[in-house]
Amino acid sequence: MHKLARGHRDKIQQFMMITGAGDKVALQALKASDWHLDGALDIFYSHPQIRGVIDSRRLEELYQRYKDPYGDMIMVDGITQLCSDMQVDPQDIVMLVLSWHMKAATMCEYSREEFIGGLQSLGVDSLEKLQEKIPALRTELKDEQKFREIYNFAFGWAKEKGQKSLALDTAIGMWQLLFAEKNWPLVDEWCQFLQVRHNKAISRDTWSQLLEFAKTVDPSLTNYDPEGAWPYLIDEFVEHATQNVLAPRR
Amino acid sequence: MNTPKKRNFKIEAFKHRVEVDPKYAEKTWKVLEHAIHEIYNHNASGLSFEELYRNAYNMVLHKFGDKLYSGLIATMTLHLKEISKSIEAAQGGLFLEELNRKWGEHNKALQMIRDILMYMDRTYVSNNNKTPVHELGLSLWREHIIHSENIRSRLLNMLLEQIYRERTGEMLSDLGPSVYQEDFEKPFLEVSASFYSGESQQFIECCSCGEYLKKAERWLNEEMERVTHYLDPKSEPKITSVVEREMIANHMQRLVHMENSGLVDMLVNDRYEDLGRMYSLFRRVPDGLSTIRDVMTSHLREKGKQLHLLDEKDKYDKIIGSSFNNDKTFLNALTSSFEYFINLNGRAPEFISLYGVSEEDVEAVLDKVMTLFRYLQEKDVFEKYYKQHLAKRLLYGKTVSDDAERSLIVKLKTECGYQFTSKLEGMFTDLKTSQDTMQGFSAGQGPEAAGEGPAIVVQVLTTGSWPMQPSAACNLPAELLPVCERFRAYYLGTHTGRRLSWQTNMGTADLRVAFARNQRHELNVSTHQMCILMLFNSADRLGYREIEQATEIPAADLRRCLQSLACDVGDDDAFFVNDAFASKYYKVKIGTVAAQKDSEPEKQETRQRVEEDRKPQIEAAIVRIMKSRRVLDHNNVVAEVTRQLQSRFLPNPVVIKKRIESLIEREFLERDKADRKLYRYLA
Repeated sequence: MHKLARGHRDKIQQFMMITGAGDKVALQALKASDWHLDGALDIFYSHPQIRGVIDSRRLEELYQRYKDPYGDMIMVDGITQLCSDMQVDPQDIVMLVLSWHMKAATMCEYSREEFIGGLQSLGVDSLEKLQEKIPALRTELKDEQKFREIYNFAFGWAKEKGQKSLALDTAIGMWQLLFAEKNWPLVDEWCQFLQVRHNKAISRDTWSQLLEFAKTVDPSLTNYDPEGAWPYLIDEFVEHATQNVLAPRR
Repeated sequence: MNTPKKRNFKIEAFKHRVEVDPKYAEKTWKVLEHAIHEIYNHNASGLSFEELYRNAYNMVLHKFGDKLYSGLIATMTLHLKEISKSIEAAQGGLFLEELNRKWGEHNKALQMIRDILMYMDRTYVSNNNKTPVHELGLSLWREHIIHSENIRSRLLNMLLEQIYRERTGEMLSDLGPSVYQEDFEKPFLEVSASFYSGESQQFIECCSCGEYLKKAERWLNEEMERVTHYLDPKSEPKITSVVEREMIANHMQRLVHMENSGLVDMLVNDRYEDLGRMYSLFRRVPDGLSTIRDVMTSHLREKGKQLHLLDEKDKYDKIIGSSFNNDKTFLNALTSSFEYFINLNGRAPEFISLYGVSEEDVEAVLDKVMTLFRYLQEKDVFEKYYKQHLAKRLLYGKTVSDDAERSLIVKLKTECGYQFTSKLEGMFTDLKTSQDTMQGFSAGQGPEAAGEGPAIVVQVLTTGSWPMQPSAACNLPAELLPVCERFRAYYLGTHTGRRLSWQTNMGTADLRVAFARNQRHELNVSTHQMCILMLFNSADRLGYREIEQATEIPAADLRRCLQSLACDVGDDDAFFVNDAFASKYYKVKIGTVAAQKDSEPEKQETRQRVEEDRKPQIEAAIVRIMKSRRVLDHNNVVAEVTRQLQSRFLPNPVVIKKRIESLIEREFLERDKADRKLYRYLA
């Protein structure tokens, strides 16, 4: 650094300010572009891997900040701290999206690989950048395909390790969260129905089929096809709803 | 507002402006009184609404509301009394007409009076909690006209008579929604009840059941019509229940059992319409449907005893579908009757042995059983019942005709395959083997054992072959323990690696008992009963709890045993030997109060076990099908599974679906990513 000419130092500062990248990245990009700022920016934006590789030190620092003192994982306390630093409610659905990017195995913990890998894939190596990413993460929920992936991811993530099915209470909490984004009018009746009639854990098939159900069958249940190979729980729900709840609406 | 002090001022003030003197109120009132008279005399056209309104307004304003109000009451009362007289004077049919006319006039008058006195209504009346003018008018009418003694009773009688006439076919003059009161309804209901009671009595003597029901239906409809037109809607449920009670409930048994036209006749002759009518009428009264169900069920059971029942299945399905509204309770009653027969037919060998049927006849009966068997959709239920009964027969030595048993088993094997009968044959084998074992045991005992203690006969049952669940042994009496141990040692000596557990809930015992006065008897009892009785060798008197503790017999069983030995059993009872016991016979068999085999809870249990057994069979079928087809849509899976299993039972599509989901869960199958109705086999 000390070898750099003053003009170069300015360019480095500028580059860092514009891209938010670290000094090493700036140096590399500017060198590659022969100290032309525009060229350097061009290189930077067309080569996203530049962002990641070099800043792994900062990522490591970030990881160290949140990791549990006794193990090589970020646990509940770390995550709480992370949320607080991000100024995000731990119950906020954006944390689910973030966990999805990280391919986190289970809620309330991030392994080293998950945390660092996830942030890398997002092109983020600092808290500020992460915070900036938040609106973009939220927007991903609006995308049909991504929402489906996130929704299905949520099942594995929310269930207990080693369990095949998702505990009912957790499932209901997740459904409330997810369907608030999708605005499915029957979510409350569905949850109520389960608490009264089913009271057992939810299978993965039921979970994933419910999304299809919410997307294809309209809330008045008029286009529900009983031969539609829906999971039996959904069949029972439709029977229950058409008898009780929907009757007054008609 | 004016305060009393100020009032004087005010009046003083008005005195100057509007000549108000003490007589003002009286004068004003007179004007109004006159107006009311004119209104009642149909002379209202000459009156000025504005003037009258103003007069009333002034009176109230000047605090003469009281006078106005009480004057109003007095004047209306006067008129109503005159009206009352004129109505009373009316004769015969004119009575109601006159009443109606005067009612109309009164209402019109009341409206006009109310308009004039509106200011009083709004201020004086509400401030002083008085009845508003309109209501006042109505209540005065009620008081002076309706409740006037002469009018009231005449009115009531007239109305009742009119209704009676209408019921018996005459037309009713249209009263319109006129006078209706609380104390009309009660005598009305009483009169109706006695009317229908009489009519129903008359008709049931001369009508057939079908005709009677038609009449009842007609009357019910008419009453409801009548209510809509003439009576307060609140009366509807009351009069309806009177008709239901008098016409239907009180005659239910007689109708259902009527010779040549009752329920049985309708069932036999497929009278769908009559049956439907009976169903919809009886459903209105308590126990109506259960009466029909019970008669239907006992009819089925009677019929079925002739082993022709399954011919009737279609017929009854149709009846329940078209006449009984597909009522689930009826469907269940039908199914349980059929199960009763499945069960009954499984005990055909029992009946054969009981009635000592001859060789050829046995074959004929068994063939009939097999024919029925083929029609059964739920062969696995039959199998369960059959096995249970066979096991009991074998264990308690009730099979008189071994050949008949064996013959039926051979036929079932031909029909259902080796699997069905292999376990059955296992039972026969166990018994034979036990005989051999006993021979070996007795021979090996040596002469000294012969005199010692009780003798036992043991049947060793292989756990898998018998339908009973193994249960924990109770505490056997000390006298028995040595010989039991000797047997155990002998058996395990010759068969290593096996475990024996005494099934004390299944054995029997012969006890020699000496009662008082040298009465000696040999009692044949169950093992549990024996344990209880033996306790009394060392105690004269024992409480229920002591017996429970000493024997460790499970509570339900214990109770039944005690009930068969004593009469009634309570938790706190104490028992002692009845020394005075006497019987004609030396050998006495004490049965156990039946656990009511095939009672509802037992049937439920059997049903449940059958359902549980079906699950793996369904899953195996699904896996077989998916393995060969690789990819198949839901409806076809269901169809194929049904086809594969139909020789055993008819699988429920919902159960198939649940099994598919379970297989998805266990990753044998998955849904196709593109088409969610398609399943794929996962290798």
